[in-house]
Amino acid sequence: MTGAGVLTGMSPTVRRVALEPFVRPPEEELPGRATWYASTCRQCPAGCGILVRVINGRARKIEGNPAHPLNRGKLCARGQAGLQVLYNPDRLQNAVRQSGGRGSRQFKPIQWTEAIDQLSSAFKSLGAPSRVAFLGGLMSDHLLTLVSGFLKALGAPPPVLFDLHTALEGRAEATDMARRWFGDSQAQGVPLPLYDIARAQVVFSFGANLLETWMSPVAQGRDYGLMRQGQAGGRGLLVQFEPRLSATAASADEWIPVKPGTEGLIALGLGRIIVEDNLGQVGSHSEHAHLYRNVSVTDVADASGVSVETLRRLANAFAAADHSVAIPGGYLAGLGNGSQTMDAVLALNVLMRRLGREGGVFLPHQVPAEPFASSASVSSFAQVTDLIERLKAGQVDILLIHGCNPLYELPQWTGIAEAIRRVPLVISFSSCVDETAVLADLVLPDHTYLEGWGYQVVSPGADRPAVSGQQPVVRPLYDTRATGDVMLALAARIGGQVAQALPWSDEVAFLEQNSAQLLGTSSGIYDAHTPAGFWSLWRQHGGWWTEKPLRDEPEAIGTPTGPLQVSPAVFAGDAQQHPFHLIPYPSLALSDGRGANLPWLQEMPDPMTTASWNTWVELNPATARSLQVDNNDVVKVVSPYGELQAPVVVYPGIRPDAVAIPIGQGHRDYGRFAQGRGSNPLALLAPPSEQARGSWLPWGATRVRIERTGRKQELARVESLDGAGREKLR
Amino acid sequence: MAQDVKSSVEAAPRWAMIVDLDRCTGCQACVVACHAENNIPVVNEQQAAYGRWMHWIIVDRYWEGEYPNVKARFTPVMCQQCAQAPCEPVCPVFATYHNREGLNAQVYNRCIGTRFCGNACPYKVRAYNWFEPEFPSPLTEQLNPDVTVRSRGIMEKCTFCIQRIRRAELDAKAQGRQLADGEVQPACVQTCPPSALVFGDLNDPNSQVSQLARSHRSFRLLDELGTDPAVIYLKGGETNVPG
Repeated sequence: MTGAGVLTGMSPTVRRVALEPFVRPPEEELPGRATWYASTCRQCPAGCGILVRVINGRARKIEGNPAHPLNRGKLCARGQAGLQVLYNPDRLQNAVRQSGGRGSRQFKPIQWTEAIDQLSSAFKSLGAPSRVAFLGGLMSDHLLTLVSGFLKALGAPPPVLFDLHTALEGRAEATDMARRWFGDSQAQGVPLPLYDIARAQVVFSFGANLLETWMSPVAQGRDYGLMRQGQAGGRGLLVQFEPRLSATAASADEWIPVKPGTEGLIALGLGRIIVEDNLGQVGSHSEHAHLYRNVSVTDVADASGVSVETLRRLANAFAAADHSVAIPGGYLAGLGNGSQTMDAVLALNVLMRRLGREGGVFLPHQVPAEPFASSASVSSFAQVTDLIERLKAGQVDILLIHGCNPLYELPQWTGIAEAIRRVPLVISFSSCVDETAVLADLVLPDHTYLEGWGYQVVSPGADRPAVSGQQPVVRPLYDTRATGDVMLALAARIGGQVAQALPWSDEVAFLEQNSAQLLGTSSGIYDAHTPAGFWSLWRQHGGWWTEKPLRDEPEAIGTPTGPLQVSPAVFAGDAQQHPFHLIPYPSLALSDGRGANLPWLQEMPDPMTTASWNTWVELNPATARSLQVDNNDVVKVVSPYGELQAPVVVYPGIRPDAVAIPIGQGHRDYGRFAQGRGSNPLALLAPPSEQARGSWLPWGATRVRIERTGRKQELARVESLDGAGREKLR
Repeated sequence: MAQDVKSSVEAAPRWAMIVDLDRCTGCQACVVACHAENNIPVVNEQQAAYGRWMHWIIVDRYWEGEYPNVKARFTPVMCQQCAQAPCEPVCPVFATYHNREGLNAQVYNRCIGTRFCGNACPYKVRAYNWFEPEFPSPLTEQLNPDVTVRSRGIMEKCTFCIQRIRRAELDAKAQGRQLADGEVQPACVQTCPPSALVFGDLNDPNSQVSQLARSHRSFRLLDELGTDPAVIYLKGGETNVPG
């Protein structure tokens, strides 16, 4: 880059790199003056719009895009840290193969032509197309479309999508829930519901950490601010139901420390009281009375530990408000009775006629063009375990992995490591060496999101149909290659049907063609006369969205005809041997662990414990006293399936019968800032019980015990425990 | 002539920040945005445990009550830009001084690292570079060219993103117009998802900060010390759990 370089990003010439002397300054570049490029944040699946400040070809700062309907100029901590994804010192600088064999960590550079040769000959000598598998995680929608098209033309099974972040936010389960309630038999997919927090007077959040990592935290955070101080009708009320006081619960007006697994019972109890006492201004509840036929409020109070008086008070508050909404959150999806619980919570909105009402529940309106019609979903966990079984049975010869790190993100009982070892050829597209790349034959690094192309249909979160566009803001730093282009090159080599299905010269041609499908849509913020003009406006705005808000009213056509039921949650581990409920939770900084290689996020204090750089175990003060441990005492956490050691944080906001551990640390690989630091609580997780039938990852359904070790380890905390303040000298 | 001087003093803004505690969610976006904007070094686990972290803004968390009636409250704290700043008179080399716009400015190349200012600050918002900052290549590319990278032995703290103030002033001047309210946005204010932070000119009675500062919810940290801070907090809602 030094001395000469062409900076593009808005201009399609990014595809053709030319060296030019500085006497002819690059287009759009003025020395010392910043150029701003509109793109999309890829640190989580939300798809916030960003503006990147670029000076002399270097990206210097990421801001939220004020025009973007999702985040309106705002950005979260992880979004702000995106520059360190681009400028990470541990990135792979070219395609590599493991010269000492898989797991050796000896990576030798290879030419891209050689890598694609190897890949295409492997595809050509494939016994049957079903012997290919693609495991994807957080992928751009355009790449998912390309990959799906590739696999379909080949006759291979569709990609399996799994990453821990979406598992922790319960995306697959929320999609299932939406399908059960709002879908008809013809609908291929129902989008995730939107909860209108900004205009709600009462918000009941059941384990939704909506101000942290769940779904679209920036949009929800903005809505929260409006709910608090921006409403004409006064300050909204937020009640959080969960066993551990999360940062979201800290912002709530009331935290109900629910006994794990009884969230759904509470929702049923609230509904029963509303029906019984005919609360609210919505007329008769007789239409929905059958849902609560079998509910006894005293039984609910006994099981959940929440008194009948509290339940009555909350039911009255919920029903009395004109605008109230109940949100089924990600934590519910980690429980054995997750889907029943989510149904019970969603039913409160149906009962109070909150569908399609201000401050209630909506469905996003579809983007009016075919390529954007169905937004990327995630696979059910059963599909993930099926894939692992196929790998174990030796039914897969080529495994391609993009945008996820299954070796870190899946519990050991899945046998993922052993399964991957069975596959003759494993390709990782990771931009640095993570745990999974260590087991790969070839690592073909994709561009990072600030160097690459893409788009994402925003779902859920925005009040209107929106596609976030992603474009390079700087020239790729290294000899990396867009995975979309690799797939296209591969398709061309394989020839036949596959080449016909993917005829584009490169992924930009594909994007250009897709964006043009929206040409002539009168509802958009812009239109153009030609596809080229449209494409240029697309890049200028950072995507496409409608001028006016547009949301759909869901119809609860799938409302159960019988009574709602929530069976008792099953927890793995004997209550005597393992007296505590384990609550692993996504770290606000590191999310599911993908932020662990970014130093800004490592040093970012956790909002509740103010700790950074490590893993800790949160214990109620009474529990800590009875175990005779205090802050910084290292304890061993033992489940029937694994154990880990970490220092204690005495945490006033957790039930005495629960322990909480943040997810995100405990990497064996993944660069200098991540590796060899803390522990991964996934090691403790039990396999799904009969109750969950393997359909999802029950990450909140394991019991543990705590053992003292006698060791101490000082956590880096901003909070000073001895009152000495900062700059304490040793 | 005297008239001119008077009007120019009156025309000088008093930059101020509103922190609405009822909106703050403790999400730490401000913390990372500040690191990115102001080239703040990351220390490491051990140094951070010593209390040598360099954040210019932190979100204090206070526990109230006991389980189950427990409540956590967030309070973002950055340099309060005091009008009567305790950090200023103690500096032997005038590295920390008061500028015309009411900002506590820090001149890095005057600082000799006595840390008297850090001692004197009642808000504990000053950070000291105990070591040369490390930006393993190519992390140097992330650095903001508008902001000095401080070296070892230098005291630093929140500047209200003075580089952004200057940039906006210069742009407005070049276009021959007055700065508009809300035109200057420090990195933390710009990114704050719930808009808990608002920045503006307290000398303009119609600015958003002036209007919010008149709220019945407003207070200032350690106001009894007489430091006259330019950061004005708005009290959070009555959020304790009813018995």
